[in-house]
Amino acid sequence: MNARERVLKVFKREAVDRVPCFSGMGNITETGINGLGYKFAGIHLDAKQMAETAATTYKLFGYECGVVPVDLCVEAEAMGCVINVYPQAEGILYPTIKEKLIHNEAEMDTIKLPEGFSEKGRIPLMREAIRILKADIGKDVVVGSYVLGPFTLAGQIMELNDLLKLSFKKADKVAKLLDLCADAIILTAKEYEKAGVDFITVREMGATSDVLSPRVFKSLILPPLQKVMKAISAYSVLHICGKTNEIVTSMIEAGPTAISVEQKNDVAESRKKLGPDAIIFGNMDAYNVLVSGSEEVVRQSVRKCIDDGVSGVWPGCDIWPTVPPQNMKAMVEETISYGGKK
Amino acid sequence: MADEARKKEILEKMRNGVIQYDEDACREGANEALEAGLDANEAIFDGLVSGMEEVGRLFEAQEYFVPEILMCADALYAGLDILKPHCKQMDLGVKGSVVIGTVEGDVHDIGKNLVKMMFDVAGFNVYDLGRDVPLDKFVDEQLKTDSDIVCLSAMMTTSMVGMPTIIEKIKAKNPNCMIMIGGAPTSKDLADKWGADGYAEDASNALKEAIKMVAFLKKLRAEKTASQ
Repeated sequence: MNARERVLKVFKREAVDRVPCFSGMGNITETGINGLGYKFAGIHLDAKQMAETAATTYKLFGYECGVVPVDLCVEAEAMGCVINVYPQAEGILYPTIKEKLIHNEAEMDTIKLPEGFSEKGRIPLMREAIRILKADIGKDVVVGSYVLGPFTLAGQIMELNDLLKLSFKKADKVAKLLDLCADAIILTAKEYEKAGVDFITVREMGATSDVLSPRVFKSLILPPLQKVMKAISAYSVLHICGKTNEIVTSMIEAGPTAISVEQKNDVAESRKKLGPDAIIFGNMDAYNVLVSGSEEVVRQSVRKCIDDGVSGVWPGCDIWPTVPPQNMKAMVEETISYGGKK
Repeated sequence: MADEARKKEILEKMRNGVIQYDEDACREGANEALEAGLDANEAIFDGLVSGMEEVGRLFEAQEYFVPEILMCADALYAGLDILKPHCKQMDLGVKGSVVIGTVEGDVHDIGKNLVKMMFDVAGFNVYDLGRDVPLDKFVDEQLKTDSDIVCLSAMMTTSMVGMPTIIEKIKAKNPNCMIMIGGAPTSKDLADKWGADGYAEDASNALKEAIKMVAFLKKLRAEKTASQ
């Protein structure tokens, strides 16, 4: 069973020899970028550079996937937002939205998706990057991509401040906007599927219980998420950051193949709540352990994740590119040696 | 001077206005406070801030979430905007000016704005650099304004990593400057490691920390008034 077959079996809920070590979120490393002689700011705008960089995490460290894109702005840009890739930055700065689409409440009603959405922004570039990545390492490992969740996307195309207040004051209006965002996300995901991804992670990062009540999650966030999950035909993973123990059941109700959580989720507790059949990824601290920790801390953390019952050792956020190479290796090695013992 | 019952009623109106995110009530309360001859500082601390303290408690009890806090903040500002021009300079032994902003690569400013609010309330001079702020701008602005405090905010792990560079540069030029870092990915460990003086991991914690600070000022103020 190679790495690709193993992950696919996990998604199919079939028996595997050990848990895999991979993720559906960004995982490029400085080691990888520098080795190719590329610049961080450049890889977002060039399919070949993006795909080649994404492949290095597998090639250098044995991380069991390839994932593009690297930033979080693809859908918002296709909808018409202007992004900033910080072309002059010396260090690593992830692209952000420079120009929002909705500037006031009234514009929430008039906004439409542009005609020919699937050719807008970097969506064609993404299709190309997925194809290159797939041709390069797609026989050995799964190739994944990610989209945002409707609420998180809405927080990019308008002021998050206003969106949050309106979720309370004018829930109907927000629900309508989230439905439109869901359409944009579905169109994007369909293009990624056409290009051949094995799985898609939906990152509804802004809808954590640190921010919104579980009640609002159920009434406002869940319906458009369900719409997105239903439309994705590849294997799907729903990721939410922050505290999620209160909403893991709702996350499952959204209908993904698997869920992904970060370190603030008590995974042993989630496993107990959701039972043995749920596929739960994540919990590995992508910064404080993987980047700042020692190799031994990384190994301990891998063992803890596995003991707590994760279905895959999976950093709970994008891996920060300055991650020490030895920590990446330690994470993969420890998963291989310990991942079959549970 | 307003009689005690009337005073209590007005302060209560502002306090409840903040808690129930009722901007009109806060505005009315503030105007009534001025008409009745209440001290503006007292109206802010015992009316508006007292309401925000309760909001902080409701947040901790998970009765309120971020949307509610944002609405409460709007209500607080509605009252504060009216009262502020009437504030006497408070002499509390703390020189108050602060540089605050969200670091480059991050466009999230909710936590930053909540902390800013509490500094506004406390009568600090706030130099708000906004969001997506280039690192050197923090250093320059601190030097230019000789501020006592610099607050750096980031919501994403992917943008937090610029913080140690700023801290190091500011501390090198001005070792006495206090630095607070905030945002979801920050932690006490990181604050210690990077040489920051304080941290708050999310908007509510930032609010809590800032409330604590302002509550402390409030206490000082009460002691000072009592001793007069």
